[in-house]
Amino acid sequence: MALRYTQRLLQTQVPFLTRGYPLLVTKEKGEDVAHTKSALQKKWTGVDIPSAQYGGRHAVTMLPGGGIGPELMHYIREIFRFVGAPVDFEVIEIDPSTEGNDDLDYAITSIKRNGVAIKGNIETKSQGLDEVSRNVAIRNELDLYVNVLHCRSYPGIPSRHKNIDVVLIRQNTDGEYAMLEHESVRGVVESMKVVTVENAERVARYAFEYARQNNRKKVTTIHKANIMKLSDGLFLEVAKNVHKEYPEIEHNNMIIDNTCMQLVSNPHQFDVMNMTNLYGTIVSNVICGLIGGAGLLSGANYGDHFAVFEPGTRNTGTAIAGKNIANPVAMINASADMLNHLGHKEHARVIYEATYETVVNDGIRTPDLGGTASSTDVVENILKILARKRVNWPQGQYRD
Amino acid sequence: MALLARTFGRTLMQATAVRSIHTTSAVNQDSGALGGSRVTCTLIPGDGVGPELVYALQEVFKATNAPVDFENYFLSEVNPILSAKLEDVVASIQKNKVCIKGILATPDYSVAGELETLNMKLRRQLDLYANVVHVRSLPNVKTRHQSIDTVIIREQTEGEYSALEHESVPGIVECLKIITSKKSMRIAKFAFDYATKNNRKKVTAVHKANIMKLGDGLFLKSCEQMAKLYPRIQFEKMIVDNTTMQMVQRPNQFDVMVTPNLYGNILDNIGSGLVGGAGVVAGASYSAETVVFEPGARHTFAEAVGKNVANPTAMLLCGAKMLRHVNLPTYSEMITNAVNKVLKDGKVRTKDLGGQSTTQDYTRAVIANIH
Amino acid sequence: MAARLIQKILKSIGVNTSRFGQERLTDSTVHVKVSTAPTSARGFASGSRKVTLIPGDGIGPEISAAVQKIFTTANVPIEWESVDVTPVMGPDGKYGIPQAAIDSVNTNKIGLKGPLMTPVGKGHRSLNLALRKEFNLYANVRPCRSLEGYKTLYDDVDVVTIRENTEGEYSGIEHEIVDGVVQSIKLITEEASKRVAEYAFQYAKANNRKKVTVVHKANIMRMSDGLFLRCARDMAEKYPEIQFEERYLDTVCLNMVQDPKKYDVLVMPNLYGDILSDMCAGLVGGLGLTPSGNMGLNGALFESVHGTAPDIAGKDLANPTALLLSAVMMLRHMELNEHADKIQHACFEVIKEGKHLTGDLGGKAKCSEFTNEICGKL
Repeated sequence: MALRYTQRLLQTQVPFLTRGYPLLVTKEKGEDVAHTKSALQKKWTGVDIPSAQYGGRHAVTMLPGGGIGPELMHYIREIFRFVGAPVDFEVIEIDPSTEGNDDLDYAITSIKRNGVAIKGNIETKSQGLDEVSRNVAIRNELDLYVNVLHCRSYPGIPSRHKNIDVVLIRQNTDGEYAMLEHESVRGVVESMKVVTVENAERVARYAFEYARQNNRKKVTTIHKANIMKLSDGLFLEVAKNVHKEYPEIEHNNMIIDNTCMQLVSNPHQFDVMNMTNLYGTIVSNVICGLIGGAGLLSGANYGDHFAVFEPGTRNTGTAIAGKNIANPVAMINASADMLNHLGHKEHARVIYEATYETVVNDGIRTPDLGGTASSTDVVENILKILARKRVNWPQGQYRD
Repeated sequence: MALLARTFGRTLMQATAVRSIHTTSAVNQDSGALGGSRVTCTLIPGDGVGPELVYALQEVFKATNAPVDFENYFLSEVNPILSAKLEDVVASIQKNKVCIKGILATPDYSVAGELETLNMKLRRQLDLYANVVHVRSLPNVKTRHQSIDTVIIREQTEGEYSALEHESVPGIVECLKIITSKKSMRIAKFAFDYATKNNRKKVTAVHKANIMKLGDGLFLKSCEQMAKLYPRIQFEKMIVDNTTMQMVQRPNQFDVMVTPNLYGNILDNIGSGLVGGAGVVAGASYSAETVVFEPGARHTFAEAVGKNVANPTAMLLCGAKMLRHVNLPTYSEMITNAVNKVLKDGKVRTKDLGGQSTTQDYTRAVIANIH
Repeated sequence: MAARLIQKILKSIGVNTSRFGQERLTDSTVHVKVSTAPTSARGFASGSRKVTLIPGDGIGPEISAAVQKIFTTANVPIEWESVDVTPVMGPDGKYGIPQAAIDSVNTNKIGLKGPLMTPVGKGHRSLNLALRKEFNLYANVRPCRSLEGYKTLYDDVDVVTIRENTEGEYSGIEHEIVDGVVQSIKLITEEASKRVAEYAFQYAKANNRKKVTVVHKANIMRMSDGLFLRCARDMAEKYPEIQFEERYLDTVCLNMVQDPKKYDVLVMPNLYGDILSDMCAGLVGGLGLTPSGNMGLNGALFESVHGTAPDIAGKDLANPTALLLSAVMMLRHMELNEHADKIQHACFEVIKEGKHLTGDLGGKAKCSEFTNEICGKL
């Protein structure tokens, strides 16, 4: 075992993140040699790849991932075929049991080509130190610096709080997830949290821009600057600076522990929330719990060049795979987000509406929402509604 | 799962039932009317036998009950008086995003003394940069070569067709061929994405970089760069003269080919010739937003006008491709199957394929085979 | 600025601008001096005539030897003068053809050349290109004819492609205007176009051909190909006995692979000729069977256009047919038609019998056996 581990360390001289694509990514200088991973997030410096839109049809990478992923993706394809969405999927299966990263590399290359992807959660079985979580690898490699999660209550779903409408904007690439850990002295492990002005500014700007474009009133920056004075302090300071350019939007800040308490007692005070990586995970799971479960929300990851859509909470659901009880709504919402992003607003709208009608009006819900319906029941009902709302080809206005 | 499948079938039936009451005549309807289920398609009959072929196409569409309305525009360079305005046609295609087009004849000298032909103008205004011609042997069509299945992808907005020419000194004309890395990358990506989408194994870049070291060299370099992004597709390059020779000797070695403008034109025509002529090969031109479906080899066949002998196969296949593009695969298959059936039976055959039947007979035979 | 550029371009292709310009001013028609008429009458009728032989690289020496042997057997009144064209460094520091070789061709006015290999790397100009430039070889002629006995999908091909060889797309003038945008100039001149058109008609007349087709793309390249087309039209008027037609490049491609019988002599600019001549060669079975001749102002050079095939060099496996047929073309050019017919007949007979074919034609014979068989027929 130990031998094998050493062998692997020796084999992988080049850690995944720095294994560059000669055409697209040139490495940043000043990588810290003490760590196996690069401390700075890479910037996109390569050639602009032309978009994969041909005759109004888009090519989109689909990564079904593990667990319930493949079933859900099957539903998505059926719905898209039914609604006539002008999207062609390039499906890439990543075998979770393989050690190497060939499939993953290929998936990342594919997203670079297509620009847009929809994905389930990808399992990383290997626990080796040199193996990066594959989900994180995708985010880092594509520089998807922001994660957007729009949390909205569905009426009729049993939950503690009603009418929640919060947008979480989460820094997605640095912070605690920089994956820089080492054991300097035996028994002492250091883990690095990285905050960079650049990424903090990009995410803060995104948050304010989002607020402005969607007529939101307030942005709350979540931090722990009382303890982590430098790192979170920087994050907060950058947010404050960016706020000066958006005077019409209110800005306040809140410490993470207080935030959790406020969320469960009075969630309606929040509007748009801007936070670092780890806090984002915490807050998103809390809110998901508040509105009645993980199966409804869709999340989107954006970078300067790419967008990846996925269910809001990232779990594979291996335990319920194949039992026909997984909730497809999150993935369907993610697919509609994707259509929206691609400019097929009409198609996105009918899918949103059909899903909402199914869950709220018709009350067809999977067990995780307190219902008794199976996954296929939900999808069939959505298709039935969609049959009444068939969309014309082509939709959307011509863009110059 | 079975239940799910059954329900798909049922809902699909419902959807089609609603559609069956429509007609397929050339209607100049306004856009909008959301929530309906009809597709509007711009139709340019073109010159030569174009109008006859388009009539056949409309007849067949009528027979399938496909929910398609046509917006008819007569566009012509040889007949400028009757021609619709280019702006109107462009606007219509931009609105509908799909178009079926016959071939426009191009006189050697334009009336206005312009260097750019109408075809080029249309392509440029819509930025129809990628031309795709799928050369495939048809059932029971007698040709020298068997089972050809090649896709030729051609850049068609730059290269030799730049329309930049001048006579600097009398008797000496310079014609500029422009190659840009941006457009070369774009067409290369198109080719590789096409290959990925259609499960093709190999992309061959056709060039003449041994002579035109900078121009075609740039094209080749762009293709090479793009190829790195597609590790699972084989990439190969071939010099154009060798390519033509290989095409007539062993055409089965080619899968997807990507070429600059002029070479593409040559290969399209050779390819069409190999599988039965200009009347049977369908093609399409893509921009990011729009698609124009047109026969693969661009010949107006003007000598056959009014003789009722032209082969509408290419036009019908264009129609089928259009239907598939706009997510009406059922209708698309109806037409493709009917055409294949007629060709396979071999009883009704137009002159170019060695038969005696008229365009009308052929169209009727196709309609009779629509189920 | 533009004028200077043009002058530079013109100089590079060997057109004297000042003279040319003046002529244009005084006279509306360009005087083209075409010396395509067979020149062998000039005092060579009696006795043997010298011909420069460039054996070439790879399989070149073997097939040249084969041709020489056949010619000796046939008693062709020709004296070979073998020269080496391996590049040597000239006084200017550049590699080039040795002066001896140039002199030889210039005196003999006629040459036969095997395949040449261009060394890969910078500083080496293609030798073929150098020869072309040195002797002003303005027209390339390739007759493609189906051979009886070697079965291809096309058995009714008999076309001659005549290609303008000095300008057009291969002018070699290219520049990167801004980063990522390259402009290549295709140059068409009235002088060169008329010259090649005239040659085409003369060829048709001399070889009893019925029709000349000019291949062009003037619907797209309205000025440049338009000029070429116009020159061909003008020339056609002078040869009323030969049928003349104009066809688009794409139409020719389409029809050629469907029904090659439609065409006879084809005349066209450089690039189209390059592509079409190779395609026609493909129709009849490849470059190993197609002869080729280059007509120039300073002489004519006949060659085989296939590669040097280094993998089979020295193994006595190569097929000498292309070079032999080129040599036959040369004999016709020298008006030694009798010998030409005899050798050609013998060659076709051997291929038709199919007993002694070389490997590339699906046989097992060695180059020497094939050669001996032809000699036997003579």
